[in-house]
Amino acid sequence: MVVEDEPELGADIAGYLTEYTCEMATTFSEALEKIGMYTYDCILLDLTLPGGDGLRLLDILKQEKRDDGIIIISARNALTDKVTGLTTGADDYIAKPFHLPELAARIYSVIRRKQFSSTNVVDQNEVRIDLLSKKVFVNEKEVALTKKELDLLLYFVGNRNKVISKSALAEHLSGDMADMFDSHAFVYAHIKNLKRKLSEAGYGNYLKNIYGTGYKWEI
Amino acid sequence: MKKLLDRNLKVFLLYALVVFLGSVPVYFFIVDLIWRTELHEHNMIVALRAKRNFELLTGDTGSLNNSIRAWNQIQPDASIIPVPAVNKDSVYTVYKHNSFTGHVELDRFHGLVTYFTVAGQPYRMTIETNIEESYETIGAITAVTAIFFLVLLGGFLLLNKRLSRKLWAPFHKTIDRLEAYDLKSQEHIPLPVTNIVEFEALHRGIRKLIDGNLTAYLEQKEFTENASHELQTPLAIVQSKLDLILQTQELTEEQSGIIENASKSLSRVSRINRNLVLLAKIDNRQFTDQEPMDMAQLLRELKADMEDFIEEKELRFDITASQPCEVVGNRALAEILLTNLLMNAIRHTSTRGNVLIWLEGYTLNITNTGATSLPEDKLFNRFSSAAVHTTGTGLGLAIVKEICQLYGWSAGYRFAEGWHHFSVRFTGNTKE
Repeated sequence: MVVEDEPELGADIAGYLTEYTCEMATTFSEALEKIGMYTYDCILLDLTLPGGDGLRLLDILKQEKRDDGIIIISARNALTDKVTGLTTGADDYIAKPFHLPELAARIYSVIRRKQFSSTNVVDQNEVRIDLLSKKVFVNEKEVALTKKELDLLLYFVGNRNKVISKSALAEHLSGDMADMFDSHAFVYAHIKNLKRKLSEAGYGNYLKNIYGTGYKWEI
Repeated sequence: MKKLLDRNLKVFLLYALVVFLGSVPVYFFIVDLIWRTELHEHNMIVALRAKRNFELLTGDTGSLNNSIRAWNQIQPDASIIPVPAVNKDSVYTVYKHNSFTGHVELDRFHGLVTYFTVAGQPYRMTIETNIEESYETIGAITAVTAIFFLVLLGGFLLLNKRLSRKLWAPFHKTIDRLEAYDLKSQEHIPLPVTNIVEFEALHRGIRKLIDGNLTAYLEQKEFTENASHELQTPLAIVQSKLDLILQTQELTEEQSGIIENASKSLSRVSRINRNLVLLAKIDNRQFTDQEPMDMAQLLRELKADMEDFIEEKELRFDITASQPCEVVGNRALAEILLTNLLMNAIRHTSTRGNVLIWLEGYTLNITNTGATSLPEDKLFNRFSSAAVHTTGTGLGLAIVKEICQLYGWSAGYRFAEGWHHFSVRFTGNTKE
C-alpha cells in the first residue's frame, strides 16, 4: 500500500512497481481504514498526511503486532524522524526526492526479509544469492563479488526488467557523494566487473546496457 | 581612543584653572580694598582722637606745644606740623624703609593727611599705618588658590575613577552582553536593569533593534526551511516521472540522453535543497546527540567510501593519522564535515594529483595540489564557489563553517606553493 498525500507521486510509484499490486491511500483516515481491513507485504508511509502524523499509524501497527513491512517516505528528511521511525518499527526510511529504482530495491529487500527470515535465498535463472551469508552462486559455483558488486546485483534483481539510469546507480552506490562528479565512470567500472565475473561463471547476458545511459536486467 | 569621562574631566579642569587664575587678582583687589578701608578708618579714629585731645588744650599754648613736640617724638609715623592754612584731607600709600623692625625690604604704609586748628593756628596731622605689601598679598592668595586647585584636581581624578567604575558599570555590562550576543541563539538579549534615563534609553534602542533583527532572522530561516520542504515533494514527483519515462518502450538514445541530463540537474537541485535543510537544522541546533568519536577512525572509514572517486581520478590520497583523535560531537555532523572537506579536495584536484591528509594533535590538515589560491574571505560563504562550472552545490564549505561554529571549532584555509591547505582545529569539547 502506498500512503502518500500527493496523488501524483503515489500514482507514479504504483506505475513503476508493476510487479506488485498497489493500493493507494491519501489521507490518515483512509490509511487507517485500509490497515484495519487488510494486511500488506509492504506499506510505503508518508509522514505528513492530511488528518494525522504518519508516525501514529506506525504506532498503531506496532501495537497490533503486525508484521507488514514499512518503509517511511518523507519530505521531512529530519534525522529525528528517521530515528523515531526506525525505533518505532519501520523497516527502512527513504527521503524525498528519491529514484524509483531505489525505492523498488528497498521494497524488494524488506519483503524478502519479512518472507524468508531464516534462509533468505534469491534464485534467478542460473544465479543464486544467499542474502544471509552474502554469497553468490552461479550453477552451484561460488562467485567472489565485492561488496559493491553484490550491492549492484541485488539492486538489479529488485528492479527486474526496468531501465535504471546511471545516475540512480551512482546515487545508490555512494549516496550524496555521487552527484558531486559529472562522470559516473566508476559505476561503469563496477558493472563491467560484475558482468565479467558472472559471465565467466557461465551466466547468460541478462544485464544489458540500454540507450548508452542506463542498464536493464532482462529476464 | 579616550574615555568619555576623561574628556569631560579635562574640560572641567581647564575651566577650573581659568576660574582660579581669574580669581587671584579679584581676591587681591578685594583684600587690598578691605585693608585700605579698614586702615583708613583706623587712621581717622587715631586722628580724630588726637585732634580732640589737642583742641582741649586751647588756651594753654605752652602745654600744646609740648604735647605736639612729644607726639612728634614718640609717634615717628605721625607728625603734626603747623601750616599756614587748613587744607582738604587726603590719603596716600607709600613704600619706604621702616626703621624699627630691621626689615631690609620696603614696607608699605597707608597714610592720612588731615588738618585741625587750635587757638587760631592751623596744623597738618599725618598718620601712617603699616599695610600688607601687595606682592605678599598676591603671593599668599596665589599660594592658597594653587593649593585649592590641587585639592580640586586630586578630588576630580579620584571621583572620576570611582564614578567611571560605578556609574558606567551598567554601561560596560551592556557592552559585554552585546559583544557576547549571537543572533543565531534566537534569544532576546539579557540587558542589566538600570535606573539611569540615558542607559534605559540605550537599552530600549538595543532591544528594539535586536527584536527587529531577530524577527527578520527567524522569518528568513523559516522561509528557507519551508521553501526547502515544499520543494521536496515536487522534486520527488519530477524524479519519479523521469524514472518512469525511462521505462517506456520506444525511447531513442537521444531522448534517453536528455532524460539522463535532466536527472543529473535534478539531483543537483535536490542536493542543494537537502543542504539548505541541513543548514537550517544546524542553525536550529537540532543535532543534540553527542558522543565521543575518533576522527582518525572516521577519516579511514570515509576514505573507504570514496575509493571509487580516488581511483577514477588516479589520485595519490594519503591519510596520516597514527594517534587517535577523540572529539565529542554529533557523529552525523562530523561525518558531513569530513566528507565535505575530503570530497572538496578530491573534486578540485586534477587527475593524478595529490591529496595529503594528516592529523596533528587536535588539528586536521587537508591539503591538495592546485594552481591558484582561492578567495579566502568568501570561501566559507554560501553559494560562493570559486569555480562556477563545477557540479558542487556551493554549500559544502558553508556547512563546514556552520558545524565548526556549532562546536566552537575553527576552520581555516591558506594557499602555499601549489597546495590548498584546509585545516580544522577541534577545540572546545575535546577530551584533552
